[in-house]
Amino acid sequence: MAGALARVIQGTKSHLGLVGPLVNISNVPVRFQQTQAPTKSKYGPLADCDRVFTNLYGRHEWRLKGALSRGDWYMTKEIILKGSDWIVNELKTSGLRGRGGAGFPTGMKWSFMQKPSDGRPKYLVVNADEGEPGTCKDREIMRHDPHKLIEGCLIAGSAMGAQAAYIYIRGEFYNEASNLQVAIAEAYQAGLIGKNACGSGYDFDVFVHRGAGAYICGEETALIESIEGKQGKPRLKPPFPADIGLFGCPTTVNNVETIAVSPTICRRGGKWFASFGRTRNSGTKLFNISGHVNTPCTVEEEMSIPLKELIERHAGGVIGGWDNLLAVIPGGSSTPLIPKDVCSTAIMDFDGLVAAQTSLGTAAVIVMDRSTDIVKAIARLIMFYKHESCGQCTPCREGVSWMNKIMYRFVDGNASPKEIDMLWEISKQIEGHTICALGDGAAWPVQGLIRHFRPELERRMAEYAACNGPSKAERLY
Amino acid sequence: MSARQAIQVGTKTVKPVLSTTPGEAKRRVLNLYKAWYRQVPYLVKDFDIPKSEEQCRAKIKELFLKNKDVTDIRVIDLLVIKGQIELKESVNMWKQKGHIMSYFKPTEEPKPKDFLSKFFSSNE
Amino acid sequence: MTKADYYCSVKLSRCRCCQSKFFNESIRMLRQPLTRALALKSPTRAAPLAARCQATQIQPQPDKVEVFIDDKPVYVLPGTTILQATAQAGVEIPRFCYHERLAVAGNCRMCLVEVEKSPKPAAACAMPVMKGMRVKTNSDLTRKAREGVMEFLLVNHPLDCPICDQGGECDLQDQSMAFGSDKSRFTDIHFSGKRAVEDKDVGPLIKTIMTRCIHCTRCIRFASEVAGVDDFGTTGRGTDMQVGTYVEKMFLSELSGNIIDLCPVGALTSKPYSFAARPWETRRIDSVDVLDPLGSNIVVTTRTNEVLRILPRTNEEINEEWLSDKSRFACDGLKRQRLVTPMLTDSRGNLTPVEWEDAIVAAARALRDCPPEKLLVVAGDMADAESLMALKDLANKLGSENVCTEQYFPLEGAGIDLRSSYLLNTKIANVEDADFVLLIGTNVRFEAPLLNARIRKAYVHKETDIALIGPQVDLTYDYLHVGESASIVKDLATGTSSHEVMKRLQQAKRPIVILGADQLKTPEGSALLAYTQELALKVQEKLADKEWKVLNVLQRTASQVAALDIGYKPGVGKLLQSGPKVVYLLGADNGVVSRDQLPKDAVVIYQGHHGDNGAAIADIVLPGAAYTEKRATYVNAEGRAQQTLVAVTPPGKAREDWKIIRALSEVVGERLPYDNLDEIRDRLSQVSPALVNYGNVQDNNYFAQARALAQSLQKPISGKMDVQLKQLEDYFMTDSISRASPTMAKCVQAVLKQKQSSY
Repeated sequence: MAGALARVIQGTKSHLGLVGPLVNISNVPVRFQQTQAPTKSKYGPLADCDRVFTNLYGRHEWRLKGALSRGDWYMTKEIILKGSDWIVNELKTSGLRGRGGAGFPTGMKWSFMQKPSDGRPKYLVVNADEGEPGTCKDREIMRHDPHKLIEGCLIAGSAMGAQAAYIYIRGEFYNEASNLQVAIAEAYQAGLIGKNACGSGYDFDVFVHRGAGAYICGEETALIESIEGKQGKPRLKPPFPADIGLFGCPTTVNNVETIAVSPTICRRGGKWFASFGRTRNSGTKLFNISGHVNTPCTVEEEMSIPLKELIERHAGGVIGGWDNLLAVIPGGSSTPLIPKDVCSTAIMDFDGLVAAQTSLGTAAVIVMDRSTDIVKAIARLIMFYKHESCGQCTPCREGVSWMNKIMYRFVDGNASPKEIDMLWEISKQIEGHTICALGDGAAWPVQGLIRHFRPELERRMAEYAACNGPSKAERLY
Repeated sequence: MSARQAIQVGTKTVKPVLSTTPGEAKRRVLNLYKAWYRQVPYLVKDFDIPKSEEQCRAKIKELFLKNKDVTDIRVIDLLVIKGQIELKESVNMWKQKGHIMSYFKPTEEPKPKDFLSKFFSSNE
Repeated sequence: MTKADYYCSVKLSRCRCCQSKFFNESIRMLRQPLTRALALKSPTRAAPLAARCQATQIQPQPDKVEVFIDDKPVYVLPGTTILQATAQAGVEIPRFCYHERLAVAGNCRMCLVEVEKSPKPAAACAMPVMKGMRVKTNSDLTRKAREGVMEFLLVNHPLDCPICDQGGECDLQDQSMAFGSDKSRFTDIHFSGKRAVEDKDVGPLIKTIMTRCIHCTRCIRFASEVAGVDDFGTTGRGTDMQVGTYVEKMFLSELSGNIIDLCPVGALTSKPYSFAARPWETRRIDSVDVLDPLGSNIVVTTRTNEVLRILPRTNEEINEEWLSDKSRFACDGLKRQRLVTPMLTDSRGNLTPVEWEDAIVAAARALRDCPPEKLLVVAGDMADAESLMALKDLANKLGSENVCTEQYFPLEGAGIDLRSSYLLNTKIANVEDADFVLLIGTNVRFEAPLLNARIRKAYVHKETDIALIGPQVDLTYDYLHVGESASIVKDLATGTSSHEVMKRLQQAKRPIVILGADQLKTPEGSALLAYTQELALKVQEKLADKEWKVLNVLQRTASQVAALDIGYKPGVGKLLQSGPKVVYLLGADNGVVSRDQLPKDAVVIYQGHHGDNGAAIADIVLPGAAYTEKRATYVNAEGRAQQTLVAVTPPGKAREDWKIIRALSEVVGERLPYDNLDEIRDRLSQVSPALVNYGNVQDNNYFAQARALAQSLQKPISGKMDVQLKQLEDYFMTDSISRASPTMAKCVQAVLKQKQSSY
């Protein structure tokens, strides 16, 4: 694909001044040849030739030399010169949805930045504050394939006319930040970014900003605040960052993976990317499988792969076999868990998991087998959210710490069964009432637990009452 | 309220207290006055007040004349009743010396009228 | 990106907002995060400016959009928030963090309302209206959301209402009654307790009980936006978040008391008022403040004939809803050092209490025996118009014209004949519309704190620039310091200076010049005034807005304008040198008259309410009433007459001031022809109708005449300007009331102590 595209580009090189129409004409036949497949019914496994991240495991050189050998920075200039409309269009065709958790269509997000300029500069901000428990995809990109990210910044930046990219990297990622910084230095030296990036006549800077260890700074507006040197506290929306973002200027915040796949999409064509996965859920995706599996791993797979296949093919299956599975948190700690029977049929994409009353999130699959104390596991997650709540708005600040108190009583069973409904209600009082999504993320795991493991909660309470007499909460409540 | 009712209410005769005619009321007043007048020497003596009989008669006259403009016979009747009560209380020595003396308001000072006296005497 | 880039981008965005309608809209929609107010416009305050613009320049009226509040259609300007729209519809939405004079924070979530077709409830304080939006302020979802937020707020709020000073006037109490749940679901079986937070020490005025804090951040926003002190902020996160000053530090502001009013709960309460009274036990009397020249509107809270505290009363023309610390907290000075009985010096020279008759007779004898030209009347800081009038009439009847005030003002040229020469002509409220402010020889921050708050408001929200000629002081905002020499004013006025300030003045559409009255004391004062008039008029003549007034003189005291209106001569100067035999001090406590300047046999009559400098040198003391104890007229620096009301009765034998003079006049034998307040006010209106035109300001427009009369006074000037109040510690004790106030003394101590601290 890349070669075909390159040929097309070379053929039209003399007409590059008139990018728009030419591109459309010249690209149509290429795409048709590639993706005229009938509707697919089986998704995954991904063929090696279709992998975007070819150095995910760090088996090869991560520096510029290695990156060039893997096809990064190839034809970047030509892609930029095709113009922002072309790039955005290609992204729209690809159906790429944001990889940070919310799954907002990336092409559309970039097109918000194409409004005529009012004189303010524009910025691209890359969210590399990968703090979600269970998620470990961005760090693999940054330490083993940093040039993909930098090239992605350049292409995304040129698509939205941004002046500079800020990569906000999680403070704990020391090695990743250092690799990334080295890669940026290499790219500057090679003239790939900076003044006249890649010889395209376009000036573009990339800065790395290290965080200080707050989960909330992964929220886009909190991240912007943090870059500005303030406390990482989410802003109210609207205005969205596309209107008023970093330093008061239009800003787009994208996840590392979203940015890193964009050069490949531009090179191989949006149709190619769209050929993976079900409609509206297209593309390839990095899945992180952790927990009670035989070989925990991060793997690039096609979207819409069944959960069971993902676990068994790449992670060596659940410890003790599939029947030993208790539950899976499919998309990082903030998504509701699903029990084994749901896991058997769950499809790993945005719509598939919404149908299972959970969410794809960052596709960080946390597998828990029957040895897990599921209540304690969820309680621990709530403790995490309690610790990471920024404290700005009331429901999250007060509600999550309250939930935390109740959850730890549930672990012992020292509670009244009536409190289960109360906890459900509290979680509903938090969800959707906060400034940012952290409140939602804290409420969902609890809701998932109550939805699927209510009998377990009641059993514990009965057990506790049998040993210690009725809980005090029974009398107080 | 219908018109007829209104007329009924308007023309309803008021219930007399004691007297039915002004003449009768006047007679009652004069009787009370005479009764007081006759009691003066005994009051002065019994209560041992530092007032002469003349002064007391003048005070009685003054107090009666205070109400000289009252024309409503019901009001006159009530005043007469009150006067009789006072008289009875005095004659039976139910009152004490101070009560009798209070008719003469010995401790009351007139309020100052002009700015300067007001300034010096009050706290304004 | 460098810092310069950042400012550049901000500046760009600022400029654009004037040009692009689109951007203007988006800016108005914008709700800034806490610390952004400096860089961007406030949404709420944009509206009045817009209205002004439309009045002067014909601009297309932005189309109003129709929104439905509980199915009732309301038409509002695009960019207004749901909360403002519902207010228009007459529906009040509960709120904690939202305050109309501060930036929107949107963090209490109490104002959540259901918006049709939106999956989540929206924060009404922050969400701009959209066309056809249907807001439901009383639906199940809305009520449930409020109840939920209320429950969360109360989870960690202590149940100490019985010992909380906010009890009875607490937003949290009121709103939990109206919107909260009827029962508690808080089960604390491990007795882990509610969150407890250490109290902060932010100075002698504000008591903090931080456990009660609901983190609405109003105090933080007030401090950074209005007071210009960025000391407040939050530390920690989640349940451990605390509001405080980062390090133990006093809240070094002259407006600090306002955060007590802003705090919706009892986390910030008044330290001097702590555990003093409950709101339902007190009587509230509307009055006017006299401790600075602005005449801020106040409410005096009293119980059993005692002033307990003073609160601001909203007046958009003067103080909005703020009050400066001196005006608010100096009220305990009203109970101390008071003159409660008339006094005469005895044979050994000590003041001994006497009856009014004796004092009045003694004073009358002194006045009668005094040759008219040897009588000197000096009025002080807080003299009301009625007593000023009565005293001047008395002196005139005795044949003397020597009535003067402590504060000087040049009499050469137009002098005090033209009212516009000594007033704040622009008016306080209009200052926020100014686009360039030139301050000459004044530290507005401490001479008139709320005027400074207005200038800061213009600086923050309207990009107004400020320049200062005079000593460099901290005005809480950036300004261009032109220099300290008075000759700069001359150079600017005569056009010999090409300083940047001149260009800015000429380019500005609404410039103002504020001259500090203190500068006019010097021999060069008349020239300085003349040049300032010249400069202001030169600028004003070229303005497109013909109604706009440039020249302002900021008086220092509450009595000065009324005194000049009535015809007092400013300054004692020569009159004192001529060796007066009787000096009548009407609350003159600033030490302008001292014993060593007077002949040995001179009799000093002091009439006033505090035993201060004046009473110390007096032979006869006549105790008067303070501003909370009389119904009296005061005229503020703009020339706005306002009246105080009787909140408490004067202590001991003290009397209302004009009555003392009226009584004295009769004993002297020159009876003044008024016996009650109405009659003396009739007399005031004969002298100047403006004195009894309460609440209004009359326009004055005799600038050209004043300039013509001042032409001959434009002599070379060279002196350096200096201001009396430079630092915060200078601000607190400036008059007889605040000098008697222990709270103010503590403030001075605390500020001095803070200055020694390394923070």
